[in-house]
Order: sequence, then structure tokens, then C-alpha cells
Amino acid sequence: MGVAVGIDLGTTNTVVGVVRDGRAVTLADEGGRRLIPSVVSFHPTGKVLVGEPAKERRIIDPVNTICSIKRLIGRTWGTEEVQRARLALPFELVEGPKQGLAVVARGEAYMLPEISAFVLRRAKAVAEAALGQPVDRAVITVPASFNDLQRAATKLAGKLAGLEVLRILNEPTAAALAYGHTSGRSERIAVYDLGGGTFDITLLDLSGEVFEVLATAGDTALGGDDVDQLIADRMAEYLLESHRVDPRSDPSARALLKGRAELLKIALSTKDAATIELSDVVRGEGGAHVNVGFSLGRAELERLASPLVERTLDTCRGSIETIGLTPKELERVILVGGSTRMPLVVRRVEAYFGKAATARVNPDEVVALGAAIQAASLSRIGSARSAFPQPLRSPSSTSVPVHSPDFQAELQSPRSSPLSPPSESEKTPAGRPRPRVSESPSSRIPASTSSVSVAPPGSSKPVGESLRDLYAARLTSAEPHSTRFGVTLPPRPSPLLIDVTPISLGVETAGGFCDFLIEANTPVPCDRTRVFLTASDGQTTVVVKVAQGESDRFAENTYLGDLFLSDLTPAARGEVAVAVTFEIDVDGILNVRARDEASGRETTARLQMLGVQSEVGDLRSMLDRFNHPELRQ
Amino acid sequence: MTPRIAYLRARLAGIEGQSYYEILRVPSSSCGADVKAAFHEFALACHPDQYVNDEPDAAVAATELFKRGVEAYKVLKSAAWRSQYDEGLLRGQLRFTPGRVEIAAPAIAIRTLEEIATTPHAKQLAKKAERLISSGRLEEARVALVTALQEDYENDELKERLQLLYAALALEPP
Repeated sequence: MGVAVGIDLGTTNTVVGVVRDGRAVTLADEGGRRLIPSVVSFHPTGKVLVGEPAKERRIIDPVNTICSIKRLIGRTWGTEEVQRARLALPFELVEGPKQGLAVVARGEAYMLPEISAFVLRRAKAVAEAALGQPVDRAVITVPASFNDLQRAATKLAGKLAGLEVLRILNEPTAAALAYGHTSGRSERIAVYDLGGGTFDITLLDLSGEVFEVLATAGDTALGGDDVDQLIADRMAEYLLESHRVDPRSDPSARALLKGRAELLKIALSTKDAATIELSDVVRGEGGAHVNVGFSLGRAELERLASPLVERTLDTCRGSIETIGLTPKELERVILVGGSTRMPLVVRRVEAYFGKAATARVNPDEVVALGAAIQAASLSRIGSARSAFPQPLRSPSSTSVPVHSPDFQAELQSPRSSPLSPPSESEKTPAGRPRPRVSESPSSRIPASTSSVSVAPPGSSKPVGESLRDLYAARLTSAEPHSTRFGVTLPPRPSPLLIDVTPISLGVETAGGFCDFLIEANTPVPCDRTRVFLTASDGQTTVVVKVAQGESDRFAENTYLGDLFLSDLTPAARGEVAVAVTFEIDVDGILNVRARDEASGRETTARLQMLGVQSEVGDLRSMLDRFNHPELRQ
Repeated sequence: MTPRIAYLRARLAGIEGQSYYEILRVPSSSCGADVKAAFHEFALACHPDQYVNDEPDAAVAATELFKRGVEAYKVLKSAAWRSQYDEGLLRGQLRFTPGRVEIAAPAIAIRTLEEIATTPHAKQLAKKAERLISSGRLEEARVALVTALQEDYENDELKERLQLLYAALALEPP
């Protein structure tokens, strides 16, 4: 079995991390970069570029270069967010099967999980090259406020990329795990996570070996991207006014402006004012070169971004109220996500919580580090034990004809296929691959590989042991003390995470109302059983509409799909009672099962979720296409 | 069966006869902080993630147990729900949100295809489609329903039901 990694699949960038020798670290590609741009570009030659080379094509080939799709994954065609994105994004979006979404590049439609799978496959390849070992399992993070469809689509992307998805983990929870305890006693903390495209606030209770999420809320369509867009709009207005050109009519120029806007925003995190070159965006009479620059002050940027930051604080307010606390009662505030580098964000968050915010770990990497810790904790110990570098032996590496200079050259090229085994050039003289691992600011966590093992079957303690003993049975040869941020932690790989479902789950009832089955902020896994009665004589099928949201009106919530109950015993109306159990699993994904109340037998219950390719046939055709030789990177 | 899974099964077996206090192993006089601490203890013993190194059955049993613990915790940590629960408990109601909620059960009105169809021949075909659906032969049902619609072509409700069938078959409607 291969290594289990943690992957932060971000709107803008993707980061992969792993726990090695008891430390959580993020992994770098052959160029030393730890941030993989979440961009996929379909090259005219048929090659699929992912990451940095794809990002470079955003300007020259915007219609075939797919980015920022995390904001769209798991959304259905008719939603406002999708229709807005169609106008803003340079590439083409079309309606896919079951009201799902697809993007079109070079005449071919791709479902969004397929696009994410390209990015995940790249992350997997980066990790494999850095570790010199195959990677086959992963914890993949998602915004805490992702709904069922968004989580299911992300999980599918992981499967398509050839990964066993150990867990869909919430990003703020992952960050909390990476930070860990900073004091021996129990504390309540807030994680404020503002990324490229999403915002989350998560409140946790950290005590002993348990991290319990108390509440979580967020906005899956709010992030640094929106700030960039506001700046880009200002640039466009300026160009229209001063040079009578509207760059918004041209996809390339639009993409260029967005990129420049991001650079300007980043510059203004450290400077009071900055100017950016826009000469390549406009052309004068007859295509003549025009010198244009755009200047912006930090104060002006903050005026633009302020409403967005206020929106995040409104969400914080709501979430803190639900657990009956005040912001001051939270002992710590952790900042996560690249957008928390903006001084405005830090200032407003600190003012709201009434305390200095913590951002010790690089906000771009902290989520991947937490995911890596959870991956180590969830992988079976028997396999994690082999997490030491082993020379990767594959038929291709042993059969390389050493006398072929061309092949050698290709192997040494830094852009050689990411899926190929580590090249000779990457190996140390001893013949072992040199791990390309960069230490992150994260400190030491107790070694999961060497300090923890499970009692072999049959050798455990007798039944009736105390809970504490039962728990301790996992740790037979515990290393007593390891430090993390200079603090001694109990000898276990990581705390037990108890996460929650972010959104209430309900079904439609007569009159268009929503009958809530599982309330928001319920710990997962959880379930709830409802009995459904037939409404007409001889009725053998029941269709139940399922949604997530907080409104009493069903239509105002996010419609997830339909539950089909079939094969019911024909009887008079109201006489057939079907008990349906709605379960939200540890990944935050909905499962159902149904039982005929009278006979006690299981009946057929099938969830038909919108835009989700769950059918075996769908999956097979996607996999076939995905693994088609021409589409391999 | 290892002692760990035996332990989980033993706890799971007794759960139907236990109150929320008994499930979380907390006295009924306990305060909020005690309930939280008890839930954490419960989670350390029963959360499926604590069983990743056991045989898969253990995680399955742990999941069932943990879900019931969550139900107990949700009720006991809310003062309002807890006092309601305590009242019910005096009458022997062990669960706050029992599995059977027949009175409040939403009745989903679905007319049979036969009822929807308007012409005699379409009714016959619709009845056949209904039968095929209940035996899981959705594709054959689709053919029957399409044929019924050829005669009953202005029946929008029947068309709607055909759409549902297409959705169930994961097919694009024509």
C-alpha cells in the first residue's frame, strides 16, 4: 500500500502535505514550488497542462484554460452563482447531465469533478516524486460550508484521480488540527478562513484528546477572487475613461486584468500605494504601443473590499450566536487562507474578536498540513509503518536503456511526466531518491509511524475495560513526549476530531414547506429516521424531494435531489409506512436506507442527486476517458 | 471477534433500552460541562475513527453507536430540549425524536400512473408501467409510458412522470 497524503484542493492553489518521521510537511514540485495553481489548460497538441504551466496559458488561451472551478463544483445549472460565473469566466460552461455543470475546452465537455481530478492527479504526482513512493490514499479538504453535492463531487474527483479518499475534511478543522493545542487546558477557538473563493468561520472546543467543532458557517462564493474582480473592474473603468477601450469585451484582456489586480492587491498588503503596468492590455491607434499604468492606494483598496469583509463578520456573528457565546469569550482566533494577508482583514477580525489573531503557520499551507495529520491518523498503521523512502521500482525504471542518450535527457528534464518514477538525477549517490520535502513552519507532532501501533487481534484487554483503557489500547509503545510549538502533547497521532454538518437537511412537505431532519451543527456521523405514509390507494412508489438550507420554505433552500422509494407493498392509502433513515456520514455526505414498517424488510431507496455522477455507467465512462492515453499529462 | 468489537457490540445491543443519560454514562443531575465531558469520553470509545485499525465491522458498529450518542448529546446539551426530554422520560420515553413519527409523517401525494392517464388504452399501459417500476424494470416502464403518451399526448402530468423516470434512469429526456 502506498502513502496517505493530505490535499488542500483550493480555488486558486492546491497544496499537498504528508506526515513523515512525525512531522507534518508540505511537498514541493521539481521547481521547489509548494503551491500548485488549480488550473487546467487544454493545449492544442492534446496535452493537458496542470498547475504552473497551465496558469501561464490563462492569458494566451483563456477559453481553454480552466480555473476557479471550486466555486462551481457541485452546483446545478440553474443557480444564480452559475449563471453569474458564466458571464465572468472566459471559458464556456454548459449544462451537463442531471442539471450538472460541464466546461467545454477544445470542443470536448468535461464534468467539473474531471477538472478537479486533473489537479488532484498533479498533486498526487508531485507527492510521489517528492517522496519517491506511490501515493494511493488522501484526505481532501473542502470549505466547511460545502453542501452534500459539493462534497460528493469532490470525493468523486479524488476517485477519478486514482485516490482512495480517506476523508472529506473541513478546511478550518484541518487548520485547527495543524495548530493544535497551545495550552494544556481546554479552550474555545475560532478559525477564520478566507481563501480565494470561499469563506468559513468554525468554532471549536479543544480539550484533551478531543477537538469538537461547536459550529460552522460560511459562504462558498466569497473570497479573494471577489476582491481581485473589484480591482479589475476599477482598472477596466479607468481604461475606458482614459483610453476609450473596454478590456472586458475581450476574454484575454479580462484574464490579464484579473491577474494584474491580484498582483496589485498583494503589493498593497505591504505597501501603502502601488502602480501596475497595463501597457499590454491596450493598443493605441493602429496597434501602437501605449504607456498605461494603474495606481491604487491601500486606503482605496480597503474601501472597495470593506463590504466583503463585513459580510464575513456578519457570518461570524450569526455563528457565535448559535452557540450562545460572545466573540470575546473565544480564547483564540486563527487566520487561515491567503486572503487573511490583507491588513484590512486582520484589523477587522481583531477588532471584532477583541484580541490579536494568530497566523503563525503560513495561511496557504496550514490546511494541507492539517489534512496530512488527519491522513496519517486515518491510515491503517500497518501501512503507515513503511513510510520511509524506498527506491521506487517500476518496470519502466528498470528497463530504461542506459545507452540511449535521448531517453536519459528526457528523464533529467524537470518537466518530465509527473507520473514517471523519480529520475536518476533526483537520486542521491546511494541510489535512494532524495526526498524533495520542505519543512513547513509546523512543528513536531508525535510520530505516528514509530510511536503508535495497535494491539494485534486477540491480544487486547478483556471486555469490560474502562473507556480510557480501551482508548489506550491503540497506543502500545507510545513515545512519551513530543513537542509541537514547544508544548508537550499526549502520545497519540492526533486528536479525535468531531466535526459537524454545516447546513440543515430537510425534505419537502405539503404546501412547499421544509421539514427539517438534521439540524445544522449536528456532529457527524448522525442520522434521523422519518416515517412516510402513502397518500393514495395501491401506491407503490414515493418520491421525496431533499434539500439543504435553513429556510422553512423548501424552494428557498438548495435542492439536492430526489429520494425514490419503490417496490412498496400495494395497500390502501396511509397503510404503507416506510421508515427512511437519512444518514450524514463522516464526510458530510448523505446516505439513505428505507424499511417497510409492517414487514420490517428493507425496501428500495435510491437517491438521485443533481449533477452527481453516481451511476456505475457514468463513472466508468468518465474513468475511461480520464485514463485515455491522449489525456494523460 | 476481537475484544474491541465485542465491546462495541455489547454496548450497541443494550442501547434500545437505555436513556440518553445511560448512553452517555452521565448522571441525570449533571451540568452542561459534565455532559460535554461525558460525550467526549463516549466519542473516544465509540467514534468510528478510533477503529481504523480494527476489522471493518468494528467501524460499522462504532458508527451506529456514535450516531445514537450524537442524538443523546444534542438533546442533553440544549436546556430546553433536555427539560422536555426529562418529562418524556418520566413516562418511559427513552428517545426524544423516536424513529416513529407517524402523526407528523409527511404524506407525499403521488397519484398512480393509471389514475393520471385519461384514455382507456393509456390507462392500461400506465398500469403496466407502474407494475414494471415497482419491480425495478425502469427501462421497460419507460417504453410503456412513452407509448401511453403517444395516445394521451396532451397529458402534462403524465409527461412530468416520464421526466422523473428519465431522471431515475439517468437519461437525457428527448
